Amino acid sequence: MTYLDFLPQLPFPANPLALFGLLLLAGLIGGELVKRLLHLPRITGYVLMGMLLGASGSGLLDDKLIAEARIFVDIALGLVLFELGRRLDVTWLKKDRWLLATGVLESALSFAFMYFALVYFDVKPLFAAVAAAIGVSTSPAVVMLVSQELRAEGQVTERALNLVAINSVIAFVLMTMLLSGVHHEYQAGWITVALHPMYMLAGSLALGYAACMLALLLARWLCKSAERHLVLLLALVAVTVGAARMLELSVLLALLALGVMVRNLDRRHDLMAVDTGRVGQLFFVVLFVIGGASLQLSEMAAGGGLALVYILARFAGKSIGVLSLTHFSGVRAGSAGLLCIALTPMSSTALVMVQGTADLYPEFGVKLSAIVLSAVLILELLGPIAVQFALKQAGETNEEKQQ
Amino acid sequence: MEFKSSHECSVGVELELQILNSRDFNLARDAADLIGLLEKNSHPGLIKPEITESMVELNTSVHRNHDSMVSELRQIRDAMVTAAERLNVRIAGGGSHPFHNWSDRRIYPTERFKRLLDVYGYLAKQFTIFGQHVHVGCPGGDDAMYLIHMLARYVPHFIALSASSPFQEGQDTAYQSSRLNTVNAFPLSGHAPFVQSWSEFVAYIDKMRGFGIIESLKDIYWDIRPKPEYGTVEVRVFDTPLTVERAALLAAYVQSLACYLLAERPHMPSPDIYLVYSHNRFQACRYGLAGNLVDAHTQHSVGLREDVLATLRRIERHAAELGNGAALQALAADIETGRSDARWLRETYKRYNSFNDVVRLQSDLWMGRAAESP
Repeated sequence: MTYLDFLPQLPFPANPLALFGLLLLAGLIGGELVKRLLHLPRITGYVLMGMLLGASGSGLLDDKLIAEARIFVDIALGLVLFELGRRLDVTWLKKDRWLLATGVLESALSFAFMYFALVYFDVKPLFAAVAAAIGVSTSPAVVMLVSQELRAEGQVTERALNLVAINSVIAFVLMTMLLSGVHHEYQAGWITVALHPMYMLAGSLALGYAACMLALLLARWLCKSAERHLVLLLALVAVTVGAARMLELSVLLALLALGVMVRNLDRRHDLMAVDTGRVGQLFFVVLFVIGGASLQLSEMAAGGGLALVYILARFAGKSIGVLSLTHFSGVRAGSAGLLCIALTPMSSTALVMVQGTADLYPEFGVKLSAIVLSAVLILELLGPIAVQFALKQAGETNEEKQQ
Repeated sequence: MEFKSSHECSVGVELELQILNSRDFNLARDAADLIGLLEKNSHPGLIKPEITESMVELNTSVHRNHDSMVSELRQIRDAMVTAAERLNVRIAGGGSHPFHNWSDRRIYPTERFKRLLDVYGYLAKQFTIFGQHVHVGCPGGDDAMYLIHMLARYVPHFIALSASSPFQEGQDTAYQSSRLNTVNAFPLSGHAPFVQSWSEFVAYIDKMRGFGIIESLKDIYWDIRPKPEYGTVEVRVFDTPLTVERAALLAAYVQSLACYLLAERPHMPSPDIYLVYSHNRFQACRYGLAGNLVDAHTQHSVGLREDVLATLRRIERHAAELGNGAALQALAADIETGRSDARWLRETYKRYNSFNDVVRLQSDLWMGRAAESP
């Protein structure tokens, strides 16, 4: 006992709130610097700041702290996927079937290209398939956030977001199907092989559906008030993310399902189209800083060459898909090319899809990282720049167009 | 500047329309894609850009009566709806968007619109309001000048009958037509000078050009102006109605009225019409058909509703000859029952308590998807 026992002991225990605030500040500064000095999207700055603080840089943000920040990352992902789901308009896909066809074709081609490219370079087919499935999805977070930052509106923006929603769903379904293969590879019992993917798929959809019904019911009861509806949606996003974690379901699919359903099942238009983006902004910054911190430059050495092959195969598959069908949708000439560029981003959010599997079978996770992580590293930095370029070229940002 | 003669009492319509997103029904920015897509498919009439990317204008061809006008308008509308659906945007009528923010608007990138932004600053973006223009054919320039000064008396009729802009930026303005308040801000808005012959008018325009105030008639935003290259008088005070059917009724009214005025020449033009002009115009904007109108010819104040009904009776014969009899009866019936677009918008808002829903239903109505009652 001393007189100074009331003072805190070193080292200070990690405090999630302080961590959140510090990550936010770091991201804010990084984003602003990159924007001012390099005229690049702020997101690139968040990621760079993350890299500086994380394993590739100073190492301040270690695995333990990253795990502490998991909750904020989950909320951010939940919001992004929910918003993305709300952009997927089934009525549109019925009226413009070419858009749906484009989404399916670019997903299928990019999967095939990546898979065969990796197999050609002697990657085991199962790993190649899982890596290819991850690559099918374009980062929802990057496309959503860059379009939000630039306040972009128009056909390229809307179509890009819908294609991202489509390829995210396809990537997820592919991943869930491949999960059986992974289980089999690691000699899980046949019941697991069959039931786990089914549980993931059906359970996540059911969770999304339940949350959606609750949202519509409460929205009707609350009457039309943008403020109350915003709180309602934020609450349901948080609940759904938490429930998906508790039930070992897919956060990604449950939230995407919630978004798609509130948009498309709300026949009476009870729910207002409130924008969760402003609140989400806080979490999105943290999402990208943590994303950057998780990236390891050392992976580049291990998987650099292969990653390049993977990226090129992915880009080729997506581009051929988009270029061959977009014309039929009747949009302005040049839109198809810009859409190809806008679909480039890949981010560590894609890895969330394998996280479950990697947790179950750590060895599998390590093997997969070698292939995918370097690609993620490159595209997490280049992706936002590509999207910004595409939306600016399309003339859909909030800047006045030049003649 | 020569006035090209055209068939007396022929009629054509321009409608400025709202392009909406189908998410929250705010204005969208898809004019270029929509116009591009419509160019690929054949349809009657013309589709053109307007000052901001959230607007699109349709032009009909020249018509002799209401029936052919309404059928062409429906065809153009259907073509637009099909194209809009492929782009996942919606189209709506109405003189103003109930809740958009002018600062979100972007100028449609052509040389002329860019120059308007340079000259008028924020007014160019606030000009994202939606009007109907009706062209009536005139045999000659002198007739056109006569018609302009005669139609000036009826401007409050046109405003009150078409009023569909009660809301601006998410607020009830208390006006039936708030759109014209935006037009008033432009220095070259207002009415034509009181000159009675085409040669005097040409001299006036030449003088204005000499002062360097205008380059052409295009720079002038009067409520009624001559369009010598078409050989028409263009009435520009209408809010775009909520349906193409209503737009056709209004066109039939102007056409029948013009026909009556040109055929019977009931009054000599008097400069007094412009003494009462602003008062009458304001009454119509603010109160719609419940406003009053000071008649410069008789110097009496009359209720606007009664004046419109009396006018409809007076021009009945000419309307019937044109084949517009039924159309004007329909218009009269709406007036008797108090039905108006502004009222529909207010009632819809009262019922749903959300501007997003108002615009959604407004676009259902224009796209021909919904019954009329809110």
